Amino acid sequence: MREMTVQLFGAFSELDAAREIRLQVSGDRVADLRSALRDLLPTRWPAFRAGLLEYSAFADQQRVLRDQDALPEDGRVAILPPVSGG
Amino acid sequence: MQRQDTWKIVERERDAIDPAEGIGFVSDPGFGGIDVFIGKVRDLNQGRAVLGISYDLFDPLVLAEFERLVAEVRAAHGPLLKLYVAHAKGRLAVGDVAVVVAAGSPHRDEAFKACRALIEAVKHRSPIWKQEHYEGGDSVWSEGCSLCELGHEPATPGALTADAAAATAARGP
Repeated sequence: MREMTVQLFGAFSELDAAREIRLQVSGDRVADLRSALRDLLPTRWPAFRAGLLEYSAFADQQRVLRDQDALPEDGRVAILPPVSGG
Repeated sequence: MQRQDTWKIVERERDAIDPAEGIGFVSDPGFGGIDVFIGKVRDLNQGRAVLGISYDLFDPLVLAEFERLVAEVRAAHGPLLKLYVAHAKGRLAVGDVAVVVAAGSPHRDEAFKACRALIEAVKHRSPIWKQEHYEGGDSVWSEGCSLCELGHEPATPGALTADAAAATAARGP
């Protein structure tokens, strides 16, 4: 198990005033973090539409991560719901 | 040597995006064509009166993505090209400028194509989110393009658009 900090953006930013959540992840891949969030979201925020997670990507400060990528060494990732710039 | 391209985030609380800056940046004595896209906050969306929009950005990744997008457009339509991208962050009012993309080149065809390619890429691939504030007092996050195709298949392929729209409609203030 390792602790990860997830920075929250867009609709996810409303989950926490500090705009980040910490959680324990079993495994070292992005897919493992997604799985952990799939369990956590409906439990801690039952009113939130947890299905948004399935359409959201993860990233570090330089690139979008693939599900099979290793989680960043510094333990920080961002969750990116569908984008709507411009 | 002057940079051929520039990209930046403009915090609305501190400053406003100036399209003239973009035009000035992509101007060059050898360039006869400049194309500019200006995106502004409008007062109506899907039949609802809009008072303003808040833009949320993941700054470091936005800047990294802008750099990649500019390089891709330069590779496709350059090398005789100057490109400019500025996107606002924070709360904007109706009429405020949200984004400016400018492209300068010797001839209009490359300028038009580069500008169009760049604004489309900015809208579809940059980690930027907008929350619309309505006259009734509620606010809704707009959901456009999923970045999941880069690394994750949605659980229900093909249902993204409708599902994302439903998610948007379901959320309150």
